[in-house]
Amino acid sequence: MLLAFCRNLFRKRRMDQELDDELRSYVELTTAENIRRGMTPEAAAAQARRDFGGMQQVKENVRDVRAGIGLEILIQDVRYGIRSLRRSPGFATVTILTLALGIGANTTIYSVVHGVLLKPLPYPHPDRLVTLWESHPAFGQFLGVAPSNFYDWRTLNGTFDKMAALDPYPDYILTGVGQPRRLTGAEVTADFFPLLGVRMHLGRGFQPNEQGVVVLSYSVWEKYFGARTEIAGTQVRLNDADYTVAGVLPRDFYLVSKSSDFQARAQFDVWTNLGLTSPPAAWLRSTHPLRVFGRLKPGVPLQQAQADLDRIAANLRRLYPDDNKDKTILAVPMEEHAVAGVRTALFTLSGAVAMVLLIACANIANLLLTRAAARRNEMALRAALGASRIRLVRQLLTESALLVLLGSSLALVLALGSVPLLVRHLPADLPRISEISVDKGVLGFTALLTVTTGMLVGMAPLLQSQDARLNVRGISMGQSRMRNALILTQVAIALVLLAGAGLMTKSLRALLEVSPGFQTAHILTARLSLPPRYANGYKFGTGQHRRISVFERELAERVRNIPGVESAGFTSHLPLSGTDNDWTFFIEGRTNPPGVFNSTKYRPVTAGYFETMGIPVKRGRPFERRDDEDHPLVVIINGAMARTFWPNEDPVGKRLKFGDENWRTIAGIVGDVHHDSLGTAPAPEMYIPWGQVPNVEIRPIIVVRSFVEPASLASGLRKAVSEVDSEVPMDQVATMDELVSGSVGESRFRTIVISLFALLALFVACIGVYGVMSYLVSQRSREFGIRMAVGGTRSSVFLLVLGQGAKIAVLGVIVGLAGTALLSRLIKSLLYGVTPLDAATLAGVSIALSAVALLASYIPARRAANADPMETLRYE
Amino acid sequence: MPESEILQGTLDLLILKALALDEMHGMGVSRRISQITNGAFEVKAGSLFPALHRMEEAGWLASSWGESETNRRSKFYRLTRTGRRHLQSESKRWERISVAMASALRAT
Repeated sequence: MLLAFCRNLFRKRRMDQELDDELRSYVELTTAENIRRGMTPEAAAAQARRDFGGMQQVKENVRDVRAGIGLEILIQDVRYGIRSLRRSPGFATVTILTLALGIGANTTIYSVVHGVLLKPLPYPHPDRLVTLWESHPAFGQFLGVAPSNFYDWRTLNGTFDKMAALDPYPDYILTGVGQPRRLTGAEVTADFFPLLGVRMHLGRGFQPNEQGVVVLSYSVWEKYFGARTEIAGTQVRLNDADYTVAGVLPRDFYLVSKSSDFQARAQFDVWTNLGLTSPPAAWLRSTHPLRVFGRLKPGVPLQQAQADLDRIAANLRRLYPDDNKDKTILAVPMEEHAVAGVRTALFTLSGAVAMVLLIACANIANLLLTRAAARRNEMALRAALGASRIRLVRQLLTESALLVLLGSSLALVLALGSVPLLVRHLPADLPRISEISVDKGVLGFTALLTVTTGMLVGMAPLLQSQDARLNVRGISMGQSRMRNALILTQVAIALVLLAGAGLMTKSLRALLEVSPGFQTAHILTARLSLPPRYANGYKFGTGQHRRISVFERELAERVRNIPGVESAGFTSHLPLSGTDNDWTFFIEGRTNPPGVFNSTKYRPVTAGYFETMGIPVKRGRPFERRDDEDHPLVVIINGAMARTFWPNEDPVGKRLKFGDENWRTIAGIVGDVHHDSLGTAPAPEMYIPWGQVPNVEIRPIIVVRSFVEPASLASGLRKAVSEVDSEVPMDQVATMDELVSGSVGESRFRTIVISLFALLALFVACIGVYGVMSYLVSQRSREFGIRMAVGGTRSSVFLLVLGQGAKIAVLGVIVGLAGTALLSRLIKSLLYGVTPLDAATLAGVSIALSAVALLASYIPARRAANADPMETLRYE
Repeated sequence: MPESEILQGTLDLLILKALALDEMHGMGVSRRISQITNGAFEVKAGSLFPALHRMEEAGWLASSWGESETNRRSKFYRLTRTGRRHLQSESKRWERISVAMASALRAT
């Protein structure tokens, strides 16, 4: 390649030399002939040159007809292009930067969109994978599935190749490998891995009815078992029991899901066998823990499977009205389900970034138009010297291509740098984060963008060069109209983006101003996992909580003695942590119709929890130490629960019970807490004293209120835990502020990105306005000179130019506001506490944008006003 | 007749004809065309040289460097075999056209 380049350069030089010789010889021969005819040598030479015509033009024409010199022309164009860009570094820098930012931002965002939304799921034939849900018109669309129902679906359907269930709740404590570790676990039916098409890295999956076996994730195998290849068949100790390792999952396996599916657990560390090979016990139709996955038979469309499921659901409603009244079955493609929550947000980001690119293109077109106008004289000169039209156009296109090439190379560098950065800062609950990378598809996308941009950009000077020959002076109306349209578009799009950014910022602020119902500052939280030996038994009233209570009291005592600690308490589920639990209950003196249950959020907590969290007790009393198994059973409810279930009565003193038949007295009412998110209204919620919970709760979360920086307490807390029991793992240490902040992560991320885009758009539009106004001033300098010469004041010229800028700004803002109104419906679902047409925000960004546009016209306006009229007139 | 009015395609044929007898440099070709058309066509350098180079690229002409009458290094053109064949076929075509045109214009 380099060789060919050199050879061509060499050949070109020789050819030029020869052409020169040939033409000179022609002129000389003509001169000699003229002399023979009797002319003086001077006159003869002059006549010969006249006859010959333009030497340069002839050369240009000859060069153009030579075949095989396309490359030389290209090289020449490129060299000329580089030279001319270097002559105007300001223009080149602004253009290349605009392109790089526009294309770079696009590549980055589309890398994310591609990884999360567009890439097929990482399983074979992903289009045949669906998730299956129980649905109820009142309780919700996506409900967990009862084991008995799952068993019937699997047996009765005719449209699924395989159907598998996953029970996400069991967590395991791994012992015997150094420190005890809490591992996330799931129980799955034997069909689960074959359904997803997983090939084990080592060993095998489950046999249908095999118990006491476990499949390890690759990372657990690597981290805790030193990636030993002979692990299959060996024993590991989980929850104080022995399990045989069946296999190890491949490194790249992960379960595509959204975080809300599995209580904020992104991935599972260990997998055990759920069994379900024979009809489950009758009561397993009224508990709904399962997530169900299905693989459609090849060629079976979703609608056909749905019809099949509808038929099964109708049967189950008829056979089991108690549990299945009004229940339907919903099949949703797995991919659709995983990204359902983020689709709008990601498409909004894509739209915003596309707008940035649009502005960038408009701006570049404008810059090139302006530049072409400034170079009209140069072009006219080159045309006069014999450059052909095609040649000039090609020259301009080469220049544009050079700009695009440089810009997109820079953009690629930008994207390669910013994608990993972005991935690190993505909200942790975004699904499929691990699939995001600058990959070939995205690179192709960038290339396509580049070519499109290049063509758009190339068009600008092409239009201009229509009159490159003829129109050496004077403005053609068509161009200035196009220029104005471009700048108007830029201002309008910038306004839309600024409005979006403004609205989202306001929404985020509103979200952060929501009082969560507890005091967030100075609280440290950590998750503890008690080994199974702490649970004495499963029968309530047999002292099942004694050991746990002893542990908790001892730990609380030690923690309160850590310097800086004010109080401490325990809960089963922290607000805004993504974990939750619901229980059904009965109210004394009321009967529910069959199939209707009272259900609320359910939290075992200890005495000290309300005090530590700063949750106010509105009526009655908080929990006390004495609220244990040996004392009357009590419950505390929140305001929302009181309003929902006892709208016209005082609930304190009323009684309710769970399935365990023991009545519990409502001892008090506490303030509402935003448990799910700051943006959703608090739901009914009840608190049970830890010593009185009807089931076994051995996964307490400790909350500690301190006078000092809470994060500094972590090591003291860890020490206290291991002093009480060295086999209790402590993990997920976080301050409450961090949890609150993390819960708005998606909203914050989106707001920051959109705001960056808006600033970028503002910057680019500002350059655009400046460029257009500068051009206008240079074109009309003669007119301004005359105005001043006939008595116009400097300030009148200044105001004239500024007025022009103001006109562009106002029109752009109006168009932008109309655009915002059109788009408002789309972003409505992303906003909290602010309407998409919030007057204050729209007014604010309109004023800000107009001010910036005016500022951008200020400098050209002053230049126009300060010009010496004599100078401009003389120059013209 | 000014050169711009030379019919498209005519110039090529004239150059081929001019070179039919002997090799010549550019100026010679120009003079020869003027001579054989009785001064009707004056081919200027601006048309002549692009045409010569184009025809050389097309393979109708070959060139070599020699000395001109003024002892200056000059490029001499001559017909190649293809060029000669092209001259023959083009001449025939032109004859047909010119006869046809002449009778068409004479018709009343």
